Amino acid sequence: MVKYTLKRVGMALLTLLLIVFLLFVLVRIMPGNPFPSERMSAEQIAAKRLEMGLDDPILVQFGRYMANLLKGDFGRGTSLYYGAPINTVLSTAISNSFRIGGIAILIGTAVGLLLGIVAALNRGRFLDGFCTVFSIIGVCVPSYVFLIFLQYFFSFKIPFFPYFFDANRFLFSSVLPSLSLSLFTMSTVARFTRNEMVEVMDSDYVRLAESKGLYGGTLVRRHVLRNALVPIVTVLAPLIVDLLTGALVVEKIYGINGIGKLMVDAITGEGVDYNYVLALGILYSALYIGIMLVVDLLYGLLDPRIRVSTKEG
Amino acid sequence: MKKTISMLLAALMLFGLTACNSNEPAGSDTGTNPSVAPSSGNDGGKYLNVMLSTNVMSLDTNLATDGDSFEVIADCIDGLTQMDAEGAAIPAIAEKWDISDDGQTYTFHLRDAKWANGDPVTAQDFVFAWRLGVETNEEYGYMFGDGVGNVKNADAIMSGEASSDTLGITASDEKTLVVELTAPVSYFPSLMYFPAFYPINEKFYSGLAEGTYGTSPETYLSNGAFILESYTPGTASLSLKKNPDYWDAARVKLPGISYQVVGSSDNALTAFRSNTLDLVTINGSQVASAESDASLSSKLKVTGAGYMWYLTFSQTDKNAQGGKLANTNLRLAISNAIDRESIVDNYVMDGSLATYTAVPPQFAASATTGEDFSADQKKFADYCGYDVTKAQSYLEAAKSELGVDSFEFTMIYGNNEGDEVANVAQAIKSQVEENLPGVTLNLQPMTKAERLDKMQNDNYDVALTRWGPDYADPMTYMGMWVTNNANNYGFWSNAEYDQIITDCTTGAYVTDYDARWAALYEGEELVMKEAVIAPLYTKSNANLIADGVSGVEFHPVALNRVYKSASIG
Repeated sequence: MVKYTLKRVGMALLTLLLIVFLLFVLVRIMPGNPFPSERMSAEQIAAKRLEMGLDDPILVQFGRYMANLLKGDFGRGTSLYYGAPINTVLSTAISNSFRIGGIAILIGTAVGLLLGIVAALNRGRFLDGFCTVFSIIGVCVPSYVFLIFLQYFFSFKIPFFPYFFDANRFLFSSVLPSLSLSLFTMSTVARFTRNEMVEVMDSDYVRLAESKGLYGGTLVRRHVLRNALVPIVTVLAPLIVDLLTGALVVEKIYGINGIGKLMVDAITGEGVDYNYVLALGILYSALYIGIMLVVDLLYGLLDPRIRVSTKEG
Repeated sequence: MKKTISMLLAALMLFGLTACNSNEPAGSDTGTNPSVAPSSGNDGGKYLNVMLSTNVMSLDTNLATDGDSFEVIADCIDGLTQMDAEGAAIPAIAEKWDISDDGQTYTFHLRDAKWANGDPVTAQDFVFAWRLGVETNEEYGYMFGDGVGNVKNADAIMSGEASSDTLGITASDEKTLVVELTAPVSYFPSLMYFPAFYPINEKFYSGLAEGTYGTSPETYLSNGAFILESYTPGTASLSLKKNPDYWDAARVKLPGISYQVVGSSDNALTAFRSNTLDLVTINGSQVASAESDASLSSKLKVTGAGYMWYLTFSQTDKNAQGGKLANTNLRLAISNAIDRESIVDNYVMDGSLATYTAVPPQFAASATTGEDFSADQKKFADYCGYDVTKAQSYLEAAKSELGVDSFEFTMIYGNNEGDEVANVAQAIKSQVEENLPGVTLNLQPMTKAERLDKMQNDNYDVALTRWGPDYADPMTYMGMWVTNNANNYGFWSNAEYDQIITDCTTGAYVTDYDARWAALYEGEELVMKEAVIAPLYTKSNANLIADGVSGVEFHPVALNRVYKSASIG
């Protein structure tokens, strides 16, 4: 297990480094000016490029960037929130997106699992049909449409929840965005749980367990759910990253100062902010790789065969 | 056992993800975590809830570049002068000022005003801020230099040839500020209400870590009507509370202002209807429905936004099929083939004004007559209007001069520059193609950043672009078409025009107001006669203002909205 873990962690770090380098190069060939200005002269812009070292050879720039990055410093924006350190802006955005996304994941997974189990246990009956229809709607309706719907009814018609995000009432104003964000996860998890469980319930070992006299909760918990969980964890992982990295449109509509909105601002603002795009790209990648790593390790715990096969391979 | 552990671990990791950031209590005001606008103030009254279209990018007077940032800065900081309801410069921190006979020395006498930390506002605060502004030379640094502010030595300092202590601004004592100019500037007092000229408390500024000034309420110091209450860079909401120690506090009725960045106009309208916001800007397609809705029509107020949309044509060989747009007749043909009235009525729809002059109306009035520089929109009717016959005869002339029968150009425009821009671009395309047989105008949407990049690198044929006035003088537009100016995107060059602009900024006309005004018209005529640009429309803002809210002042230049006299109910 230790060797397996070390190998996975090593691979993850290497992947991340490669991605950072690729991002670094890509950002520099993106169209758009890092110092958008209609009033500064070419000399002024040149001075700014010089100050930021943007005219140095790309490897020199990359080395300098990595040196700062290892110290945990993302630098400063070039066209966004001029002057303010990116770390400050980013930490607020991460905190908002993670908390709202986190709540969405909790709601989505818990309710999704529950719906999936209920559907699987009532296969072919009304509840199954209901859960299936619900899942289809949840997967098809974009989260922001759901948010607008919730906003209209619960902030406008019945003014109960705030119309815009309010950090002073964090939990209260997270309800609508978290709920709308959780819908997709909820539906996906419900669908997968149901299908996996149905498959497992049809398998020989469950029939055997049943014939041995196991039934009800024990059977579901010990034999069905556990075996159905591996594929569910796989689909859940990218969903978690999606939710944590902020929902672009939901954040914009609800006025949440999160990473999704920051990404949109960094690319579609007056200029292309190299450093913000880079910082956010790194954050996204690191999260994705991190979650995938956790999933890989979880597999090992959930299913010893994966661990063993890796060891042998 | 293992099963239990693995299930537990999975649950723990999931929980860990959500909990990893919850060590900060929600809404704690640590400077990195925003505490966002309360909808009503602690001292009882209701805050005014105002929509912003974009995030506040910076509260640093030297770094801010956008109107929303300027508005919030001006809520918090007073300059030497301020705008009255009509936009004229009236005393603020400067109680009065004397102008020397040659018009080149301004002596400002400061009133007893305080910073929010109790320090007096001194002449030295202006000296410090101005020197910093010229030294750092950011976006609006140019306003100190020759051609705009004409502050002595500003250009030399910006180009690194002199040190910032040689700048023509001195504090002769704590309350007397002397500014020296290289040439008289008739609109100098009205420049002083622009944020680039605001003071900064040196002691406070120097005590902050680099790059943190204006990034939180703790790192921002007001001397104006309001104090920053909650703000963090990137936030979608911020709030200000009334400054009880403001020198003119008696005038300020609002207990505070709560700003909310709203991404879409639809959302703005619903937020207004739900009383979440008291002041919002809606788009053109919403105006018609608001006008026909009895509950909204009385709350609608159209105000000048100041900026003008126009077409610019690249005149270099690099573009437009080997420089075809360098042909004046071809440009005139396009300009006269556009039905501007139809564009504002059917596509912009928010009360924007069809514009036929290179300098838009509404922002620059004559100091002697008070008349709007561009009140007469028919002044250049010979060169700019909607006249298909004339446009076609220009086109025929161009065809024979260039020896070709058809033209194909690409027009670039921003797809993130407002709801109506794509429609306007489409309308221009169909009008030009319909009215000018043989001309094909392809459309190429892109982000504003890309559009600017292409224009600045002369890599475009035709661009749909805009310019907002920085100060209340026609020069804020006319300075653009001087040879080699960074905003001269067509690379047009005319010696006669350059001479007129020089005479009006630093030369013969600086002391003769009316002669200068007349010379500016001559210059404008050159621009129109050659269709260096094709003006389209001057933008308006369609605002919805909640019942009971009064006294908000709207301006097309410098500060779009001022709340010093505003009140609710």
